[in-house]
Amino acid sequence: MSLLDLKLIRDLRALKSQAAAVAIVMACGLAMMIMTRSLIVSLETTRDAYYRDNHFAQIFSRLKRAPNSVSAQLAAIPGVATVQTGIALSVTLDLPGVIEPATGLIQSLPEQGELTLNRLHLRAGRILVGRESTGEILVGEAFAQANQLKPGDEIAAVLYGRRQNFRIAGIVLSPEFIFEAPPGAALPNNKTYGVFWMPYKELARASNLDGAFNQLSLQLVPGASEPAVIAAVDHILRPYGGRGAYGRTSHPSHTRLRDEINILNGLSIGFPLVFLSVAAFMTNAVMGRQITLQREQIAILKAFGFSNGEIGRHYLKFSIVIVAGGTALGVLGGVFLGERLVDMYHVFFRFPALNFQLASTVVVLAVLVSSIAAIIGVAGSVRAAVRLPPAEAMRPEPPSSYRPALVERLGFGRLFTVTFRMALRNIERRPVRASLTVGALALATGILIVPNAFRDGIGYVLDYQWDLIQRQTVMVSLIEPSPARTLADFKALPGVILAEPVRGAAVELRAGNQFRRLSITGLPAQAELFRVIDSSGRQISLPPEGIVISRKLADVLGVKIGEILFVRGLEGKRVEFSVPVAGLSEDFAGTAAYMEIGALNRHLGEGDRINAAYLTVGAGQWNEFLHAMKASPRAGSVVVKNKIRQGFRETTAQSIGLLQQIYLTFAAVVAFGIVYNSARISLSERQRELATLRVIGFTRGEVATVLVGELMMLTLIALPCGLLIGSGFARVILMTVNTEFVRLPLILTAQNYAFAVLVVAVASAISALLACRRLDQLDLVGVLKARD
Amino acid sequence: MAHAAFTSAESDLAPVFQARALAKTYGEGDAMVRALAGLDLECRAGELVVVLGASGSGKSTLLNLLGGLDTPTSGSLFYRGWDLGGADEAGLTRYRREAVGFVFQFYNLIPSLTARENVALITEIAADPMTPEEALHMVGLGARMDHFPAQLSGGEQQRVAIARAIAKRPAVLMCDEPTGALDVNTGKAVLEAIERINRELGTLTLIITHNSVMAEMADRVLTLSDGHITGEKHNLTRAAASTLAW
Repeated sequence: MSLLDLKLIRDLRALKSQAAAVAIVMACGLAMMIMTRSLIVSLETTRDAYYRDNHFAQIFSRLKRAPNSVSAQLAAIPGVATVQTGIALSVTLDLPGVIEPATGLIQSLPEQGELTLNRLHLRAGRILVGRESTGEILVGEAFAQANQLKPGDEIAAVLYGRRQNFRIAGIVLSPEFIFEAPPGAALPNNKTYGVFWMPYKELARASNLDGAFNQLSLQLVPGASEPAVIAAVDHILRPYGGRGAYGRTSHPSHTRLRDEINILNGLSIGFPLVFLSVAAFMTNAVMGRQITLQREQIAILKAFGFSNGEIGRHYLKFSIVIVAGGTALGVLGGVFLGERLVDMYHVFFRFPALNFQLASTVVVLAVLVSSIAAIIGVAGSVRAAVRLPPAEAMRPEPPSSYRPALVERLGFGRLFTVTFRMALRNIERRPVRASLTVGALALATGILIVPNAFRDGIGYVLDYQWDLIQRQTVMVSLIEPSPARTLADFKALPGVILAEPVRGAAVELRAGNQFRRLSITGLPAQAELFRVIDSSGRQISLPPEGIVISRKLADVLGVKIGEILFVRGLEGKRVEFSVPVAGLSEDFAGTAAYMEIGALNRHLGEGDRINAAYLTVGAGQWNEFLHAMKASPRAGSVVVKNKIRQGFRETTAQSIGLLQQIYLTFAAVVAFGIVYNSARISLSERQRELATLRVIGFTRGEVATVLVGELMMLTLIALPCGLLIGSGFARVILMTVNTEFVRLPLILTAQNYAFAVLVVAVASAISALLACRRLDQLDLVGVLKARD
Repeated sequence: MAHAAFTSAESDLAPVFQARALAKTYGEGDAMVRALAGLDLECRAGELVVVLGASGSGKSTLLNLLGGLDTPTSGSLFYRGWDLGGADEAGLTRYRREAVGFVFQFYNLIPSLTARENVALITEIAADPMTPEEALHMVGLGARMDHFPAQLSGGEQQRVAIARAIAKRPAVLMCDEPTGALDVNTGKAVLEAIERINRELGTLTLIITHNSVMAEMADRVLTLSDGHITGEKHNLTRAAASTLAW
């Protein structure tokens, strides 16, 4: 080992706590980068393999009813490789020991062989094959796990108004339901929503669809045009009540997964960048001080004949050691956190196997990025050091010159104590370093805002959805549109206090070239149980003529209030009409359109009909109500609001809780690292000054105030900046969640701000205290007798 | 804190410092260094004492003990009857704050403060200080009060250090090689300032130096060698600092 390397090791030992602080901040950035990039890789490769192996379809459509013979027509469309038709029905489930019903989607298995598209992956039990009904059913894993169901268990389902018992044959996964939730849901609620499969014959019989299908999936030949095939499918299915075919980009489960990957993508760039910039700044500060302290040593080395290159490399090695430490720690941390997050993703996304894959290219990238950060951090100081001629470097640095601070020059100097003025002048003398310290602390504050903004946004959406918009106890959907008088039957159920009708109609809304397919919801003009709310939180009274649509939908379609939308019915009489946009509603999940129920029924031309009802049920008769409900032949599904809400709460607590912990820890680490390093550097630079103060009679506390005062001032400047930066981060990141399917409002609460300020302030205080403890080790006499 | 007031001058005849068998050792075993080997010493108010000695003689250790920067290993040390040798950290801090003024070879001014503010540091925390302006006038720096250390010469910086040391009207002024970093003429100006403080304020002044010429300006000259006082000389008349030459 060369003597310079020996010096490196000993110098590093002396610098260990500061080097460790830099390495840890760097490790946080790398861990976050490795964690998110590897998660993206894991999710994408697992998804692609799953899609490929289980033949996930490319085009999907639902329809009212078409004879099985139509499938030959579909297969003949140019570009179509495989056609799979089947039946899909909503179902209400009665679980043993659970009072509230669950809902779900039940799909048919082919009469012969296994599914050709969207093949199931068996987790437990066995796959059902064959045409004959056996009274058995396959259950999606998420629902089965949430409700502790296993093969052999029995569940009761209300299928097309008829209650039947089924035995669970197997627990399965499907590439169609990686995200096992109702379409449009942002979060799963596995206790109350599930997916099921049963033999075609049995399902067809129960739904009067024998010899027919109401859903289809297609796979295309490579290079086929998806839009062309969709148009052809729609054309063929038009007479059969086709509700509009769509590709994977509109597939609920696929979209939700894609959105998640997009969010991870954003996180994988932004946050690591913040941490690595901070680490670069810290490296610069630590190495700058080290080189200043070793000015004379550098001069002696040069006088002995060491070249600039050798000395430059020697100091670069410092940062290389720090990078190596930071990278090792970062990779370990990234893998550890990545594995935890994979567990969390398992709650949301169901794959046959989702394993954390450490993306090796990411590690290489991480080393590269952090090396560059460290080299940028150290290059300036090294260059300055090697440029100095030996004779000059052996002389002490000239005394630092100061001048009164700006506030003093403006005439406010007399307001401050002498020690306060010292701090002001020190800050002003090194403006770049002061700004970088402020910047780094502000970033630490800012990154704390984001996870809590997510949490508050989700909380707001849930409260908004379940308190402001939907105020019912349950929603009951009917198997098919029924006469308006059906509402009276619901009103007569035990415990029902209030019942309001709902009419839903699948339509295509078009404005110019833009169109969307969705369901118009018909409601009473001033409904009490489902209220259409505008952006200022007021209820919109549905006008006798005109349509109210989501603000997001208006954006997508490019329409404003007063403009005309063309509506084409996709079911029933397939009416076409145009309505003016009468208002814009504010909502956060999916997009919606509302009309006054009478007006909608008039346009649909099928008489006064309803296909769902919102009910308020008195708590006292809840159980009686549910028993009556489960036995009701008309009810297709029953959704209990509080049940769903509670499910959401649990899921968000799990996911946001984990992310919040990660971010919180990292932000605290950064705050701690920055303040600790700044205090240590300040202590090293000013030890003569501080020792003088001690000698002339300042107490330890008073000297600590001088040392920490400057940092406190910088922290005070940084905190409000950090809150601003954090609000900006939150806005940018939430914008990536602003899709047609899920939107999060930017909710910034005083608690969120207070929490960020508290964490940074406490981390700063602890690290400042640690640095102050070093004051006790100050050799008063030695420092004062030494030459500067 | 046992002693009522560090700054009281009620008993000018009683010794300010009283040391018996004062010893200080550093390290242990083979590495043990005996810096002070048990010396007896008394100093009275208004005296100007010059302590001479080669490096390693123990003179700095003596100053550290008398100045409350360190505590003795054995022996006793009293400041106006208060047990300085047995004082704790807080006691020493209060003692330095109220009773002692220090002047070091390397000035040790705070670079971010002007001359006036360097002195004001003390006047803000002392019980009965003079104003910074008064103190700076006493050392002949009335005209450069608003200059930062970087704008002052070495001699001027040292005079600011003296003004800072005496602004609290200390009972004791400790000067450790006060002219060590200065040329002869500047050094003389600094010694004149110290002499004036001693005369006008009656401050017990200890000057530690290896420059024997300074002995002429003292009331009493102590010579230290190997941790012992090896010589003590009383000058019947003190030479004026302005007449010294080295």
